[in-house]
Amino acid sequence: MYKQPSLSLLVVEDSNEDFEAFRRIVNEVGTMDLSIVRCHDGDDALEHLQQRQAVPQPPLPDVIVLDLNLPGTDGREVIAEVKQNDKLKTIPIVVLTTSSNPKDVEACYRFGANSYMLKSMDIRLFKASIQQFLDFWFKATVLPSSNQESRP
Amino acid sequence: MTSSSFVSQIKQQITTLTNPDIAPPDVSLTNCDREPIHIPSAIQPHGVLLTFTEADLTLLQVSRNVTTVIGLTPEQLWGQPLTHLFAAEQLEQIRGCLTADFEHVNPLRLSVEVDGQTRSFGGIVHRADTVVVLELEPLQASDEIDFFDFYRFVKTPISQLQRTQTVAELCHTAAAEIRRITGFDRVMIYRFDQAGAGDVIAEDRRADLKAFLGLHYPATDIPQQAKHLYRLNLLRLIPDAVYEPVPLEPQNNPVTDAPLDMSLSVLRSVSSVHREYLGNMGVRASMSISLLKNQQLWGLIACHHCSPKLLSYELRTICEFLGQSISLELATKSETEDLDDQVRLQSIQANFVKASAHCQTLADVLSHNPDNLMALGRASGLIFYEGDAIISFGQTPPEPVISKLLDWVEPQFEADAVLYTTASLGLRCPEMADYRQVASGLMALRISRVQKIYLLWLRPEVVQTVHWGGQQKQQEGVDADGLTYLSPRKSFERWQETVQMRSLPWKACEQEAALELRSTIIGVVLQKSDELALLNADLERSNSELDSFAYVASHDLKEPLRGIHNYSSFLIEDYGDQLGEEGQHKLETLVRLAQRMEDLISSLLHYSRLGRAELVLHRTDMGEVVTEVLDVIKISQPEPIEFRIPRPLPTLACDRIRISELFTNLISNAIKYNDKPHKWIEMGYVSTDEDRATLPSALQQAGTVFYVRDNGIGIRDRHLENVFKIFKRLHAPGRYGGGTGAGLTIVKKIVERHGGEIIIESAYGEGSTFYFSLGEVEHV
Repeated sequence: MYKQPSLSLLVVEDSNEDFEAFRRIVNEVGTMDLSIVRCHDGDDALEHLQQRQAVPQPPLPDVIVLDLNLPGTDGREVIAEVKQNDKLKTIPIVVLTTSSNPKDVEACYRFGANSYMLKSMDIRLFKASIQQFLDFWFKATVLPSSNQESRP
Repeated sequence: MTSSSFVSQIKQQITTLTNPDIAPPDVSLTNCDREPIHIPSAIQPHGVLLTFTEADLTLLQVSRNVTTVIGLTPEQLWGQPLTHLFAAEQLEQIRGCLTADFEHVNPLRLSVEVDGQTRSFGGIVHRADTVVVLELEPLQASDEIDFFDFYRFVKTPISQLQRTQTVAELCHTAAAEIRRITGFDRVMIYRFDQAGAGDVIAEDRRADLKAFLGLHYPATDIPQQAKHLYRLNLLRLIPDAVYEPVPLEPQNNPVTDAPLDMSLSVLRSVSSVHREYLGNMGVRASMSISLLKNQQLWGLIACHHCSPKLLSYELRTICEFLGQSISLELATKSETEDLDDQVRLQSIQANFVKASAHCQTLADVLSHNPDNLMALGRASGLIFYEGDAIISFGQTPPEPVISKLLDWVEPQFEADAVLYTTASLGLRCPEMADYRQVASGLMALRISRVQKIYLLWLRPEVVQTVHWGGQQKQQEGVDADGLTYLSPRKSFERWQETVQMRSLPWKACEQEAALELRSTIIGVVLQKSDELALLNADLERSNSELDSFAYVASHDLKEPLRGIHNYSSFLIEDYGDQLGEEGQHKLETLVRLAQRMEDLISSLLHYSRLGRAELVLHRTDMGEVVTEVLDVIKISQPEPIEFRIPRPLPTLACDRIRISELFTNLISNAIKYNDKPHKWIEMGYVSTDEDRATLPSALQQAGTVFYVRDNGIGIRDRHLENVFKIFKRLHAPGRYGGGTGAGLTIVKKIVERHGGEIIIESAYGEGSTFYFSLGEVEHV
């Protein structure tokens, strides 16, 4: 019997290696039932979200993980678009990036990002931070249920 | 024709000066200034003076010499009508003269018949004190000058005068022409300065006479009321200075019962002091013609003759006319010269602006052509102050003196004034008296009070600036036996006394020039600051671009590294058992190299941002900072190390985060590069009031100096500078725990950002000491 995954994650990441590493670690450390959708760039992500609004199925993601330095439409623009859209603004956006530039951190929060995380070079540290991310957003936090309404 | 209001105004001034009842108590007035020379009630003997009522022509006063000149006694004339002396048509001429009828102008040709003898006179009529004054001078046959003669007389001199270019040339020509026409032995042009002192600026003389050119006279040589008279009466003649004054009878004007106002009288008897003065000079006859500029007395044409000399009224009129022409020429010439000055000034200003284009600082601009700036203030010395920096040009007192001078000048400025001048600095500021030779005059221009930017022009004592017009060490007419005053030589000496500790006065146009320069300077400074603002904006832009670039570069560099790092880790995780020990080791090396590469990129990013990020300065307890750093270091340091802090470290203003990073790097290095079994590291300081002889010479003048000392491996002399170069390592990566080679570079940058300096002293094999200061950061 097909079971609808209870939680979905949208990952916006242009680097294949980084996405692979992310997915591998999520699978390794994650204990929850989580479906991951990947978009390669900002335009791709916005388009994906637009479609999900119009069609009741499949549902919107519960959390968006966003890399900042994307080709084409920049990550910051994605945040701004999502947070200005009444239907989408409730989705938490977690920025996951290499940039420690304080200006970037400032800009993301200003546009409405919910969290800002650094990609660590050290695999152990990277694993630990993804573990914390999953525990926080999918265990400790109560997510808005509006995204789930369309689900049976 | 002088307007009556002008005449009465000047007469009022003379009265005020000479009336003991209403004269203001002015200490600068001498007795000469008080002498009522306009009311001597006496004339010179070469003519007669009569006064009569205008209404019925009744004679009131006569000079006592009517008896000899006309042949009638005063008693025979008093109360008589003028018809007693003159025929009806001559009376018409006199009336016509009073109503300024063009047919009848001074001098009138009058004749008097007494006892069958006809005497001819030149007559001059004017009104004074409600009566009419008639002055008669006997006519010589040769005195006939008609209009055509007049034209002939003035044509040449006028065209000569008009041909001159400068004021100096004009004066020289005027002196020569007046002497040619009149035949006086000596003709001089005097010029008065603002203080009223005189100065012989041109001279034409008989070849055997000594020159007076270049002599100066104190203002007191010509009494004030005489100067007022000179504006009224443009020509004075003393045909023979050795004369007995002829009194008027009765002494007072019967209508006013006061002495007759003789301001406009041509025969007026002159002051005995003046006659004595002429006598001491060996002068028998003298004439002076006023030179006016804008109705003010600018100077005089002074004529001297060694024997008596009578000049006809007509010839005097020609001289007076020439005097007025010279005055007019003078006005245009000085305006031209002012204009030339303006042009000169403009070009100095233009040069200034031009020079500013390729100069970085105001000091550079001023240094570009200081002679020009000195010329602008007609000064011989120039000092520029900017904060504590002083630059001087030309002749100035020594450095220690001029650094104190500004302290004295600053409070001298009036509330919002930007200019302060004095022509007697030594009297105002006694400390400067010793430097009178170079600094008797001071013109100080305040450019910025806040930034203490001032420009000072200095002038020498006047006595040093006098140009002698000739080699006159001995003056004409001065014998050594007892002439103690009243001679040009004595005058000159007296004048020298009056100008002790004084410079030439600062003219209005010079002050204006300074003020204009100030506007120019401020314009230049503003332009510079605009440029600076643009540069700053540029710098900020490029800084923020650099910042972004550094982040982007580090991101782009790190991304593939992360890939290598992660995939190597995954390989070890997934296939470790298949790779064998050697394969695993290689992959671990790959992971370690990627990690090291990332460390390099991070420190490069950190270093590049260090130079741009603003420092956050707060009062910081250095002891606390070091304690925190040591706590962190001890956690990761298993082996025991002795940390020595001989005495508590001081508190000072610095960026706590950066300084903490600095100590971390220095202390970590001290631990890392140490192979002694017992390692010790000492942190201390030397304050400004302690013995600094032990410090490196470069830091002996700095503020508080900190040091971190170790008993480590030391650094060879030839590497002392290299250790600060980024990524420059002295050892193989594997030895001494290997760093990125950026630590000390960052330390040096932090010290420099604080305005300090870092110096290493090291004994190879025994240990090193890192000394650093943190600049003279103000306490926050």
